Amino acid sequence: MSAGYRQQPNSARKDGKRVAGKQVFPPPGSGGSDPVMKERDLNFIPESVGGKEPQPAGSHIHDRIRTGTVIGKPLPLVDSNAKVTGQAWYGDDVRLANESIGKILRSPHHYAKIISIDTSKVEALPGVIAVATGADSPHSFGVLPVTKDEHAMAVEKVRHMGDLVACVSAVDEATAIEALGLFEIEWELLEPVFDPKKGLEDHDDPIHWRGKYHLAKTNVQKRVFQEFGDRSLVENPFSSSHGKWTMAGVHHGFTEPHAVVAHWDPNGRLQLYTPQQVPHYTHRALSTVLDVPMHQINVIRTFVGGGFGGKSDPFPHEMCAAILARKSGRPVRITFDREEVYWINRGRHPSNIEVKMTADDEGRISGFDIDALIDGGGFASFGHVTSYYNGVLATAPYELGSFHYTGARVWTNKPASGAMRGHGAVNTRCAVEVGLDEMAEEMNVDPIDLRLANLLPPHSRTITGFRITSNGMREALERVREGSNWDEKFRKLPLGKGIGIGCGFFISGSGLPIHWDPNRFPHATVHIQVDMDGGVTVHTGAADIGQGSTTAVAQVVSEVLALPIEMIHVRSHESDTSPVDLGSYSSRVTFMNANAAIRAALDIREKLLDAAWDILGYHPNTLIINDRRIYYKHDPAIGVSYLQALHKAQEDKGALISSGSYRSPPMGGVHKGAAAGLAPAYSFSAYVAEVDVDIELGLIKCTNVWAAHDCGKALNPLAVKGQIIGSCHMGLGQVLSEKMVYGRTGHLQNANLLEYKIPSIHEMPHVEPIIVESSDPEGPFGAKEAGEGPLLPILPAVVNAVYDAIGIRYNDLPLTPDIIFKGVEKKRKKLKLEEATELPSPRFTHGPKSIELQKSLMKRSQEHKKRDLARQKTEDTSPYVNGVLFGFDPNIPLEDQVEGWRMATEPDPEQLAELGLAGRAWLKKEQRQMESEK
Amino acid sequence: MVGTEYVPMTPKAAKEIWSAKVNGESVEELITSNAILLDVLRDQVGTLGVKRGCDLGTCGCCTVIIDGDARLSCLCLAGQVAGSEITTVEGLSEGAHLAPIQSCFAEHGGSQCGFCTPGFLLSAQALLTENDSPSDKEISCAIEGNLCRCTGYQQIVDSIKAAAEIHRGEAEPVQPASNPHPNPHPEGPDQPSMPPGHAR
Repeated sequence: MSAGYRQQPNSARKDGKRVAGKQVFPPPGSGGSDPVMKERDLNFIPESVGGKEPQPAGSHIHDRIRTGTVIGKPLPLVDSNAKVTGQAWYGDDVRLANESIGKILRSPHHYAKIISIDTSKVEALPGVIAVATGADSPHSFGVLPVTKDEHAMAVEKVRHMGDLVACVSAVDEATAIEALGLFEIEWELLEPVFDPKKGLEDHDDPIHWRGKYHLAKTNVQKRVFQEFGDRSLVENPFSSSHGKWTMAGVHHGFTEPHAVVAHWDPNGRLQLYTPQQVPHYTHRALSTVLDVPMHQINVIRTFVGGGFGGKSDPFPHEMCAAILARKSGRPVRITFDREEVYWINRGRHPSNIEVKMTADDEGRISGFDIDALIDGGGFASFGHVTSYYNGVLATAPYELGSFHYTGARVWTNKPASGAMRGHGAVNTRCAVEVGLDEMAEEMNVDPIDLRLANLLPPHSRTITGFRITSNGMREALERVREGSNWDEKFRKLPLGKGIGIGCGFFISGSGLPIHWDPNRFPHATVHIQVDMDGGVTVHTGAADIGQGSTTAVAQVVSEVLALPIEMIHVRSHESDTSPVDLGSYSSRVTFMNANAAIRAALDIREKLLDAAWDILGYHPNTLIINDRRIYYKHDPAIGVSYLQALHKAQEDKGALISSGSYRSPPMGGVHKGAAAGLAPAYSFSAYVAEVDVDIELGLIKCTNVWAAHDCGKALNPLAVKGQIIGSCHMGLGQVLSEKMVYGRTGHLQNANLLEYKIPSIHEMPHVEPIIVESSDPEGPFGAKEAGEGPLLPILPAVVNAVYDAIGIRYNDLPLTPDIIFKGVEKKRKKLKLEEATELPSPRFTHGPKSIELQKSLMKRSQEHKKRDLARQKTEDTSPYVNGVLFGFDPNIPLEDQVEGWRMATEPDPEQLAELGLAGRAWLKKEQRQMESEK
Repeated sequence: MVGTEYVPMTPKAAKEIWSAKVNGESVEELITSNAILLDVLRDQVGTLGVKRGCDLGTCGCCTVIIDGDARLSCLCLAGQVAGSEITTVEGLSEGAHLAPIQSCFAEHGGSQCGFCTPGFLLSAQALLTENDSPSDKEISCAIEGNLCRCTGYQQIVDSIKAAAEIHRGEAEPVQPASNPHPNPHPEGPDQPSMPPGHAR
């Protein structure tokens, strides 16, 4: 030992149990490859625990376990080396010995009964190994337990063109394709439904039949009615807006087509390789469809080449591969071509949305009516939830006087719609934000100020009863306003150039799991085991679909244990080894899995600190855990290496293994549908978009986007920025070019990436990602989601910017040149102008009243800013519910203090006549009511 | 695969021997004369880093470098490029050492889900081999045929610019994090690791 080094104190511990003796230190660099311990990076340790990291939103419960190792630093994804070397194995890269190739026969009809299927010719074809039809899989499945309406292959009838009819496996692809032509099928054609409005009417053969719960004989899958608040506020509005929107369906457009490999191993267990966001639901569905207990199935998630919600259903082709493999005893690989990807779809619902908003003379939003008719396609998928999300996720971040929502999802004979990034919230959000812009225009006030004066504060409840915790909406709005130089540009740019604002609000993890009953089962579980030499293996079921969930889990473990991230190995591919996890949907992974991982890592950390206590004689509260060393706070020379503490802990307690789990707190109201949209935290975002509109060609070019997103705490700023820019890309696609085109005969006309226009690099604007950190009290280190929420504001920001550029409101998405051109021509003719280039540019026309209102809005937002800051830092902990802005007392139930405050989930008989398009579903009765009347 | 009319497949094409230099190694495969290069590379040569995204030449995932040019292997008959030098993503790195373009994609977030990444890497590599100081416009044009759904391209462009700097010799190549330290015990094996700056 060199001079100056002090051994551990020779004193006994106070309880007399143990004397810390002289210890021989293990070699330096214990664990990890760098021999020199890294300095504690105070810039990444929060102020509240003595570091230098600023905490504008206040301290967090996880501050004391921060070690300054990785959290908050931009890190490459832990699996990025596999991806850049081509070693990442996606669905179609799984090649098993003796594999056979499966192909799926798809329906050529939109809607038809299958009278008979003759497979004899197929079976006779040399090279064909196995054939399966609907008769081989009678059990139905579906992602939601309430709507299990899918089969591996059509059992009785096909419900859309491209629906699965039969499948075949053969020695090679050519033989399998040839075999598909040999099926002899007798069809009975049925009358298809394509228009969702027709879906509301009675039909001779409804696409699905739900027995006594079926709504008359319509194709309505789900109808929703929600009414909250004081309807009397809506009367005599000071300002109002009314938008009727038609939004085309869009597809996720992930680059990896679906693929699956199924193999029954010699012990009769199914090994299924699939790029799935939600392997656990596939696991469950496989068990049901194949009649095999879940423990006899191992679902192996391959690398996922993009999901965005499109790989979150259990899919029929996964069942087909398993059935074929079981029949033939050989591994079966099924890979989709791009057209099949569009047939299975699950993209965003084509929607007809009507939004009516009113504001009173103080610029408060008094009325907020949404009517959303969404086209679900042939199957339910996540539709039950989507039909709620279309309404309830549009309310916040604003304080509303009343909220009225009618929604309906109908089945049509088209590929099924489902969950897609920003699930259910995107289309109505666009309509609502544009509606606000219209009202601001009518009142002649700045739309940002209008929003700033109507925001809900942190730690409040929305009108539908959602519990908002952290809320960075105000900061996001202020930062995009400043970043974009808004005040110099808005309503001041020349014709053809415009700037627009949009906000977003999204759930950070669905508060109630889809499948668990009882609901106390944890949402996420993470196991950690520590190796003899200090390597840490983390087992989680979180599905990394490119968003970086594996990295997030590795990061939090690395941070808590103060180990280099190279020492953390995350294993998340196999259901055999990973604890049950609900998968990557509803932006839940960072929030829930990282929280579970923190708990598991804390358990290990506690054991290590206890061992260090035993060796050093200093209580863990006085020990600091830093890069592979634990030492006494006041004298860093007194310490043990990580490996030493680890060995001590292993000697005393055996192998170091821990488990952590997360379950969301009890939340929400009791009304029907109260669970939809509940989340332990919500993310907020505000975007400003700048566009150039070529007024003669109708071409829109989005040039700049300032994108502020409140993700609570950016665990990995590089990944968060990637998500924000990527969301902009996807949202821009939807607002400018992407559209699933169904022809007059209901045929999907652009099932390929050539005619389905995903923006290329030339269409991308410069995006300035702005990370807002509001430090969520329940999030891991304060983090919330950043994957879906950032998509929402880009659509309304662009639509509003187009209005600012040419003064025309568009209510059809996408804003393709033909639509722009039509609008321009209409306005040109109306104004009797010679050239479109003479159109007037929208400008403020301030009067004394609007100037006064503008001033009062700014004053109110300044007051609210102080209120928000106090609440964010929990200096003010008084309850706050939606309605305080209208003068109500948050401590008394609103029903008791406001006459006419209503909360209803079914319409009154007198309301029935006034309902909007989707609301008409309430004119029909359920079968059971009709029976009881007979 | 839509339709019930039985149309017999065209007679199977004749087999032929195909040879090329893939990632510096000569390969010989028995292929059908109408085989697509993408299929040959994936199913026979075994370079699964070449990805199949659309089969129509629209996504760019299957980009490979053929005799110095970035080309789409799904739009290329194998027979057309017999005898050529083909580089796939597996051929970019030298042993355990990542090429600059690869390490920069990892470092700057150019790869999220990673499925389009091999295509982007090869398009970018072909550009950088010809031109190590490309302008923004040149970068855009080089990767215009590649679709990425995750990143919004911005971080891909950042990665390519960073790699160009390394190619020009203006920046040091990124060291992989897992590089073993040359001397794990600089002060002898019994020296404990200490907080930096603290006297022993």
